[in-house]
Amino acid sequence: MSISAETAKKHANDPAVTCCRFEAGSEIKPDMLEDPAILPDLADSGLLVLGDDCLTIGEVLGGTLTETLDALTPITKNVVKGLLSKEETKAEAPVVQHTEEKHEPVVYEQTSNYANPGVVRIYIGEGKDIDLEFPLSVAGSFGAPVSAPSVNQVSTNSAVAAESACTASCEAKEVRKLVKKHYKIEKVEMADKTVIEGTTLKIRKGLIKEAIDSQDLVLDMKIDIITPNDYDKYSETIMDVQPIATKESGELGNGVTRVIDGVVVVVTGTDEDGVQIGEFGSSEGILDRNIMWGRPGAPDKGDIFIKTQVTIKAKTNMERPGPLAAHKASDKITQEIREALKAFDGKAVGEEEFVQYRRPGHKKVLIIKEIMGQGAMHDNLILPVEPVGTLGAVPNVDLGNVPVMLSPTEVIDGGIHALTCIGPASKETSRHYWREPLVLEAMKDEEIDLCGVLFVGSPQINAEKFYVSRRLGMIVESLDLDGAIITTEGFGNNHIDFASHHEQVGMRGVPVVGCSFSAVQGALVVGNEYMTAMIDLNKSKQGIENEILSNNTLCPEDATRAIAMLKAVMAGEEIKEAERKWNPNVKLSNVELLNENGLKIEMLENEQVLEKSKKRREIYEVE
Amino acid sequence: MALEDLKYKDNLMYMQGFITKVKDGGVEIDFKGRLGSMSIPLRMLISDYKPEVGQTIGFVMSHPEIESNLIDETYRKVMNKEE
Repeated sequence: MSISAETAKKHANDPAVTCCRFEAGSEIKPDMLEDPAILPDLADSGLLVLGDDCLTIGEVLGGTLTETLDALTPITKNVVKGLLSKEETKAEAPVVQHTEEKHEPVVYEQTSNYANPGVVRIYIGEGKDIDLEFPLSVAGSFGAPVSAPSVNQVSTNSAVAAESACTASCEAKEVRKLVKKHYKIEKVEMADKTVIEGTTLKIRKGLIKEAIDSQDLVLDMKIDIITPNDYDKYSETIMDVQPIATKESGELGNGVTRVIDGVVVVVTGTDEDGVQIGEFGSSEGILDRNIMWGRPGAPDKGDIFIKTQVTIKAKTNMERPGPLAAHKASDKITQEIREALKAFDGKAVGEEEFVQYRRPGHKKVLIIKEIMGQGAMHDNLILPVEPVGTLGAVPNVDLGNVPVMLSPTEVIDGGIHALTCIGPASKETSRHYWREPLVLEAMKDEEIDLCGVLFVGSPQINAEKFYVSRRLGMIVESLDLDGAIITTEGFGNNHIDFASHHEQVGMRGVPVVGCSFSAVQGALVVGNEYMTAMIDLNKSKQGIENEILSNNTLCPEDATRAIAMLKAVMAGEEIKEAERKWNPNVKLSNVELLNENGLKIEMLENEQVLEKSKKRREIYEVE
Repeated sequence: MALEDLKYKDNLMYMQGFITKVKDGGVEIDFKGRLGSMSIPLRMLISDYKPEVGQTIGFVMSHPEIESNLIDETYRKVMNKEE
């Protein structure tokens, strides 16, 4: 297909190939050229052979063909006369020049000069060939990033978002504080009462029957206390990993929360025929080989598991009430432990303080988390009364999947109970939200003003997807954001929403960065012009959903890259285009770039450190 | 099986079928021409309308390829239990 003049300008440095047959003597115009975006595909299928002598679009425009060329022929020097020289093309397309340069990443160590009085604010929404000159003294006080485009050469792509005028009163404002008190448990055993004695947690034996009876669809439930010695035991698919926490004072999101260290609740189950609850792949197998220890949403090595194994009625695993019943039954056990934790009069081993600040004068950033909402086990319970509880929470499917705003502290205080039974490698469990790395890092970052965390569900039907996405757009518009990060778990038709959210945010002129598992198996099939800054959450060697719990979820290393990329986009930097096929080295070069500039990123291990499970040996990674 | 090991991944067949069952979490689809059936979660289905029994679907797929003779005992055990 031929291209427009606008596309020709944008791709002035891409190869010039004819889209149709043209006679000698024709003047080369954009509507004679093939779309550069599909040239790699054409080359792959053998329809086009691109040599080094192929000229660029910028060079051939305005020239004249001296020979008749067939369709899909690269235009070379010997068939054109009246070529524009390199210098002229450069002068005509300053935008392109800017794109070509490899930018050094912005150095973020500098303390910003926001408190500097007398700073001039310049806001240019859309400019062209702007030439500004400032006396050195004023330029120095800008505190601009080290290698941002120099002040007297501004590209047409980016707004010069210089720091707004900020007086001394622009201090961080504390909005709310959450304190987490940690209590160490070293032993868990079944007993006559649910109580904590010293570092031993005792669970009432009769509680199990009560939990089974509480839910019609639950036919049976077993509890296994798994200590590190039992990690080589077999387990059914893990449906959720939950911290055991309770409110000591205040509401969820503020006040004081008590949490047990060293013990997690692990919900597992099948239906009575033995079919795993969960659809895409399951993480059943030997625990030690199917869990990526230490990920935010996974158990840590050394944790004791209170593993509930729930059996639900046959064939209800794909129906909405099924997985919900399994979670509610497990929660009955956890709730009694919460009461015991509340009543415990022992000492906490440690305290963590989480303060939510608003930082006026700094770049206002919103985190948007897309969660599953197609129904059945693709659901989450939002804002229970107790951290990661079920009572008082509302499923986001019942809320119509419309965006719901949570404060950052509400997220990390167990505001989300995840039912999601999607692929284990990219599933965000309840524990993931309890330790959400992106929220934690954004909260601490003094250079940005994190205004909230917006959860948006992903409905099944396209029309509903766009309905929800447009509401997200309106919220973004009303917030006057400087930047946004959109994350999603899993892959599938939720990528359609993912793309739409980027469009809603981007079309309002807000810089946006996206985070998703992609690589090979989850390669984005939809995209738009606003999806130019993306972080791939994949960590598996082969780029696939390899059924190892939490392997491909958002981790601190991804959070650091996402925030760094957002800051780069907000400062007007250009992000290099992604490669066509998944290349794990792109992530590594980004990490190197950040490490070179003082932002140390600790790279996490992937499934290669785990002993190979049968599935991996025989299915995914045959030797 | 790694993507690169598939020998016929570029040979895509156009498949047509219709929805035979709708569950909360997925749909069951029967292919036309007695070419088989499949059950997929909602996440894997693209739709403008609420899925309903009788609606037709279309997609392209490559031929499934058996990778090797190795049998996974866990799956075999679970399948035998169902019978």
